[in-house]
Amino acid sequence: MRARRLGVRLLVATAAFSVVATACGGSSSDGSANPSASGPCTMAETPVLTFAAYSTPREVYGKIISAFQSKWKEEHNDQQVIFQESYGGSTTQAQNVVNGFEADVVALSLAPDVNYIEDAGLITHDWTTAPDAGMVSTSVVVLDVRPGNPKGFKDFNDIAAPGVGVLTPDPASSGGARWNIVSIYGSAMHGYAGNAEGDEAGAQELLTGVFKNVIALDKSARDSIKNFEGGNGDVAITYENEVFTAQDAGLPDEAVYPPSSVLIANPVAVVDANVDKHCVRDVAEAFVEYLHSDEAKEYYRTVGFLRPTDLAAAQAGDEEMGFPPIEDLWPVEDFGGWDALDEKLFSENGIFTQAFAAAQG
Amino acid sequence: MASAAQTVPRKRALRAPTARRLRHWTLRGAAVTYLVAMIVVPVAAIITKGFSNGLDTFREAMSSPGAWAAIRLTLATSALAAIINAIFGTMLAYILVRYRFRGRAALSAIVDLPFAIPTLVTGVMLVAIYGPNTPIGKAFASVGIQLMFSKLAVLLALCVVTLPFVVRTVQPVLLELDTAEEEAAQVLGASAWKTFRSVVMPAIRPAVAAGALLAFARGLGEFGSVVFVSGNLTNRTMTAPYFIFQLTTQFKPDQAAAVATLLFAISFVLVLVTSRIVRTERKEAEA
Repeated sequence: MRARRLGVRLLVATAAFSVVATACGGSSSDGSANPSASGPCTMAETPVLTFAAYSTPREVYGKIISAFQSKWKEEHNDQQVIFQESYGGSTTQAQNVVNGFEADVVALSLAPDVNYIEDAGLITHDWTTAPDAGMVSTSVVVLDVRPGNPKGFKDFNDIAAPGVGVLTPDPASSGGARWNIVSIYGSAMHGYAGNAEGDEAGAQELLTGVFKNVIALDKSARDSIKNFEGGNGDVAITYENEVFTAQDAGLPDEAVYPPSSVLIANPVAVVDANVDKHCVRDVAEAFVEYLHSDEAKEYYRTVGFLRPTDLAAAQAGDEEMGFPPIEDLWPVEDFGGWDALDEKLFSENGIFTQAFAAAQG
Repeated sequence: MASAAQTVPRKRALRAPTARRLRHWTLRGAAVTYLVAMIVVPVAAIITKGFSNGLDTFREAMSSPGAWAAIRLTLATSALAAIINAIFGTMLAYILVRYRFRGRAALSAIVDLPFAIPTLVTGVMLVAIYGPNTPIGKAFASVGIQLMFSKLAVLLALCVVTLPFVVRTVQPVLLELDTAEEEAAQVLGASAWKTFRSVVMPAIRPAVAAGALLAFARGLGEFGSVVFVSGNLTNRTMTAPYFIFQLTTQFKPDQAAAVATLLFAISFVLVLVTSRIVRTERKEAEA
């Protein structure tokens, strides 16, 4: 009897509390829930754009966003665009958007992460028809080595030799880690890294050799570099812009360029479902368009140490920035694009899956 | 309690033969060495790293976008979560100790779940249940409340993660508390609420405060669950631990250390203040 009475009181108290809590929550939550979403709408006086990006180019976007805000203000009667920015791992951001994080524009590290949002039905237009197939920046895969390259690494076969300590992010948790694997595979298939052109078994062997030497599978590319900075390993497989960023922060990293590399390309896209819900399509599309402009490209180049989206220009490098030309630079389309590569390398019987298993065994 | 426990063995040690005293010192040395190696040295290293250039590093860190907002959000949500759990945790502890009902053992086990579940999983779980695409999330959205990817989401995650602290600190005190006084109060006609307020509450207040403090301190550092539920919007939903994490990924470990120092300094001061309050209260109760 006594227990039941208390139970009832507890229930009443809980109910009362939830009302209070949710009332407080209502005021403290972001209030971005906008129930009227159907049909054409009028944009708010000060539109709010939610922007979700992968973490590396945070500083680039800080500059680009304020430049875009002033440009928009000038062209639209002093209208102020408010940005809500979120930075995190590329794949995590994509998952959050799919789970209901209402980003209007996403800037991610690789196309499959955008496709993931598209497959969830939130991106309904073909985002690859934008300029440069939706890509805004590029980079190349490099070897981050100790000052002076004491072990004399030149290509991927050098780091597959016994006794080398290699750092690379985990392809299972870091979407970006797949760039490294694709680059090793493609280099070998193109006849570099001591492999005969088109020799797939040789490519698999090379991957096995490299992953036998991996001493830590970090959760992201940045973690690999941080780990390397901490004194672990002889080489970190990473991207050119990461090494330049580390150097800019005063770290003694040095980049060695394997002669052949995949063209790492970073996509941006408007998330249709969310811009329609928030009624910000015009400004979101204008922002994405701005990201493809020469002005934005200059920020990507000078602040983010990224290469241009044009393949030939990316391959030629940039003397002023200290970007050397790349002998053999190829886009993922050379191997049929990401879908084909996922199947070929990362599926259950994929070349990387097998190489990784062999390296473990 | 603690001071009484310390004086007894010390008196005995004085009278003890040399071998025994040696053993005593070895034990003490081992314990202190462990504490120094595990906590004192790392903490000192963080402080040194963060403040080797005086306050400059800290100022630089706090000038990045969203820095103060992140710290404010973390302080506010941790405090709120601690208060909420002080109320509900005490309630839970009370019914677990004073009432016998079916499923009590199960309830008690459930209380510990937040400790057993990795907090990352807690975050993923919360989004799966309360996310904007779920029925519950949609129901709340229809009345204008966004449960996930908001400040409220941070609060919810912290409430879940810190739930066991108050329950587990209050429970043993309640168990030791003689029920005779409570029964006397009720016999004399006091209502259940009055009995709780004037008989039980004074006895357990230090434990509630200690538990709430642990919850608060734990909330300050919570990372795993928050990453998934907050959306990490700069200036809005980004928390202090996530801000620190971002600093480390931007190759600014010294700035990260400086901000981390601020967080644990707050925590440390609170521990000191609370233990002081608890001590004076106990003295007053004894007097």
